[in-house]
Formats: sequence, structure tokens, C-alpha cells
Amino acid sequence: MVGNDIVDIAKAKKDSNWQRPRFLDKLFTGKEQEFIKNSEDKTITVWQLWSMKEAAYKLYVQKHPSRFYAPKQFECVAHASIWKVNYKEFSCYLSIKKTTDYIVSEARLIPHKMTSELVVFKDENLKSQSQVLRDKLSERISKIESISTNSIEFQKSEFDIPIMKFDSKRMNVSLTHHGRFGAFAF
Amino acid sequence: MTKDELIEKLKGIIAPYIQDEAAFANLNEDTDFVKDLKINSANLVDIILDIEDEFDIRLENEDMEKMLDVKSAMAIVNAKLEA
Repeated sequence: MVGNDIVDIAKAKKDSNWQRPRFLDKLFTGKEQEFIKNSEDKTITVWQLWSMKEAAYKLYVQKHPSRFYAPKQFECVAHASIWKVNYKEFSCYLSIKKTTDYIVSEARLIPHKMTSELVVFKDENLKSQSQVLRDKLSERISKIESISTNSIEFQKSEFDIPIMKFDSKRMNVSLTHHGRFGAFAF
Repeated sequence: MTKDELIEKLKGIIAPYIQDEAAFANLNEDTDFVKDLKINSANLVDIILDIEDEFDIRLENEDMEKMLDVKSAMAIVNAKLEA
């Protein structure tokens, strides 16, 4: 099981003003706000923590099918250099990749290295981006499993949780896109 | 405030964040902010803050959890206004 999330930094800066009153308080715990305040680049830290929460949520709902909006309750905690996100009894490990253009977070139940594969889009049309991501993921699975892409079916559950079905198998996957960038993991 | 007035107010609040014009044109109580309007989840918090400002109310964590569609937003605003 995996959950991932990507933030296009330029788009996040354009679309959101994290400095507006009460914004941070709605999304981040006191400790997280303290961490943001003390960080070198506050904007980057805001979006890093945000993408970690999103990735952890996507993993959580695979384990516990449901749908809700509770970013503040998914708390990012750093142990030495290892990031975890905790939500109630649930806890997961995060791997993070940051460049000047984007931040990708990947959540798994165990410590891991990032496996999310990046996709750079030619246009910002959301529907075509979703399709491109699904096709790329399908191609990857077809290679690994030595099956035709035609036999792989993409589905979303009532809770909007994605899954790839082939033969009698069901594979947990995670897809994310934002602005010019996308990523998938399985 | 009537149901239609509330939907109109919410429409005005949501408008800047939508990424699917067709779904927005057909907006009704069942419209989902993320699935239908393709609103970025980071902007859901802006909608919540805008609702707080517009109606002069404050939403708690429990309210935020359900803020995924027009129907829930209406129910939450109504409950707060009656409180």
C-alpha cells in the first residue's frame, strides 16, 4: 500500500496564500506551526508538510476505506531524519523529494525509499493529465507483470480510492498531479 | 436565508477555486468539491476560511471533516447560523 502527493511549487505559490489569517491554524498543529516558523524557507516547509499529510491520508484511506478532510489531525513528526505522520492509532513513514520545482511525498507503512515516478505534463488540462498518469502507470505494471495493458483496468472506489485490477489481482496504487507535474507509485 | 440564497452565496465563494466549469454550471446540492469541481484539496481550506468570513462563523475540526460537497457545506452553515 502506498499514498503519494506532489506539489508544483510555482502553482502552490500562485493558488494559495498560506499567510492569510487562520490558514496555518486550520491545517497544522501547534508543533508543526512552530517547525514552519523556525524553518529557513517557510513557504517550502508549508508545502512539504502539506504534501506529507496528503500522502499519509491517501495511504490511510486504502487501509480504512473512507473519505474526509482532516489535514490538521494528520501530524507530521520527525524522528532524527526520519519523517512519520500520525493520525489517531495510525502511523506511517514518509519519503520526500524536493527540487526547486516540486515536492513529492510518499507514505508507506514501513520505512522505504521513494519509488514514485515523476511525469512532466505538456499541458495543464486536468482530464488529460489524469489519463496520461493512468496510462503511464498501466504501462509500468504491464512490463513488471508481463501482461498486456489491455488486461489492466483502472478503478476508483466510492471513496475515490484508486486501484489497478488485472487477472484476479488488485494492486493498490497512488496517483497525484498538480500544475505541471504528476507522479505515480504502486 | 432560503436554500436557494444559501446555494448562491456558496457558489460565489467556491467560484475562484473551481477547475471544472461544466460541473460548476450544473452545481447542485450533490456536487462534490473535489470529485466534480476538481478543487485542489489545499484550496478547500480557503473555501472554509471564506465561509467563516462570509457568514461570520467559525468551523471546528469536526465541521471541516465533512466539508466535501455542497450539501454538507449547507448543513454546516445552517447549523452554525442557528446555534
